[in-house]
Amino acid sequence: MIDLVIHIIIPLAIFSFIAVFTLFAVYAERKIAGFVQDRLGPMETGKYGMLQTIADILKLLQKEFITPSAADKVLFALAPVVIFTAVFIGFSVMPWAPNFIPADTHTGLFFIMAVVSIDAIGILMAGWGSNNKYSLLGAIRAIAQMVSYEIPIGLSLIAAVMITQTLNLNDIVFNQGILATEHIYFFGVWDVTEVGGLFAWNILQAPHLIVVYIIFFIASLAECNRAPFDIPEAESELIGGFHTEYGGIRFAFVFLAEYAMMFLVAMLGVVLFLGGWNTPLPNIGALKLAEWTTGLYWGIFWTLTKSLFIVGIQMWIRWTLPRFRADQLMNLCWKVMIPLAFLCMAISGIWRILVMV
Amino acid sequence: MEEVIFYAFAALAIGSALLVVGLKNTARALFLFFIVLFAMAGLFLFALADFVAITQILIYVGGVLILMIFAFMLSNKELLADLQHTSARFLSLPNAQSLLLVLGFLGVMLYGIAEWQENTPYWITENIRRGNIIQPTDNNINQLGVKFMTQYVLPFEVVSIFLLMALIGAAHLSRKEEDR
Repeated sequence: MIDLVIHIIIPLAIFSFIAVFTLFAVYAERKIAGFVQDRLGPMETGKYGMLQTIADILKLLQKEFITPSAADKVLFALAPVVIFTAVFIGFSVMPWAPNFIPADTHTGLFFIMAVVSIDAIGILMAGWGSNNKYSLLGAIRAIAQMVSYEIPIGLSLIAAVMITQTLNLNDIVFNQGILATEHIYFFGVWDVTEVGGLFAWNILQAPHLIVVYIIFFIASLAECNRAPFDIPEAESELIGGFHTEYGGIRFAFVFLAEYAMMFLVAMLGVVLFLGGWNTPLPNIGALKLAEWTTGLYWGIFWTLTKSLFIVGIQMWIRWTLPRFRADQLMNLCWKVMIPLAFLCMAISGIWRILVMV
Repeated sequence: MEEVIFYAFAALAIGSALLVVGLKNTARALFLFFIVLFAMAGLFLFALADFVAITQILIYVGGVLILMIFAFMLSNKELLADLQHTSARFLSLPNAQSLLLVLGFLGVMLYGIAEWQENTPYWITENIRRGNIIQPTDNNINQLGVKFMTQYVLPFEVVSIFLLMALIGAAHLSRKEEDR
């Protein structure tokens, strides 16, 4: 019985976290946009406009359901649910703190890759179901982009997994800090099992993973359909892309899925490359900073801080860089990132055999 | 509890598979196919084949199904309508014959199950007796990796060469023709 209650509480907790995160991320996004474009952003609702997104969501919630008369009603109604669920399931294997993980499976990373690819089906459903040229074009662009960029993401994940030797996200994080179950080496030479902190993170255990992380980060931007890879919803060409016809709570779900996806890929990058819930502070002699800042609450704190920092960078990039053209996008993916990711994968193999032994 | 979920997945798979075959609306049928594959993945999970389940979703849902939907969307509407009309004759048998075929298949499967129940192979009973079975908490991924790189290395390499050939072929087909 108690198990069942826990099984119900955890998804609810994650859902409410996503909802709250989305509310404040939208506010942050608009403030950052304002800062980058040298204007103020939302100012009127509440102090510094902090209630703006809450007012927005209240407005969205009470709007009526509008279904275009030529739309495929079933697909149109189901699409936002599929899009959101795909991202939402992904959170089920993400570790938040030492052994604090909704589902501790041996296939965690692989599972996330699979589940996130369902997102594409939802977008196609939305694009086809709307029966609108712009929506369909947006959906086709989105799929072409997501399917292409899944390859560099997959390759960069493989490069990281070759170093970690496990697909279990919980174990991956454990081996990046002072709680490691095996010896870990900074740059492959200096034993930092006792020191921990920044030096034990995956990107510094094997330095080529820094390149891999950059590949992963760029590809994950494309996977979330965010600028500079937002041709699927290019406002100047396609109105709104695949979600042109959506309004009210359905649009809210599409939006929720986009922000949840941002957080999910940011968190996945943090877990795989940046130490997950491990503290960035190392043990220095008698100053046991790493040991003092490791634990359940510290773990959640570090995961959140790092992930939100990465989300912040995603927003900064969105408002700084112009949009890629479709052919530039494909060139970048197939001619630059995939060969580079392959190279990094080969280096990972050599590193594992020759350096980490 | 597990049994309820198992039968729910099974019913979902069979029901939506029937609908996929029966629906006139091709687009909806394709999206229903997604549910069939997903329910199948759920059934694989019950067989403790989590790797197969996830691969099913990754390959079929993330790749093959999207390709099918793309092919459907990019093809001519009139051509498709034509195909839907003629499909009553093209590649299909009269009802009586197809019924016979279906019953035959059902018979073969039922016979297989009955035979299996009666004389279970020796290696299965032996392993069950020795407790040499997979537990839900076991790490199958390690085993799979080791098996792939040792016992099944030849099939594994042949498949990868085959995939590479397909990749090169696709790249060659989509290349621009040079002016002569």
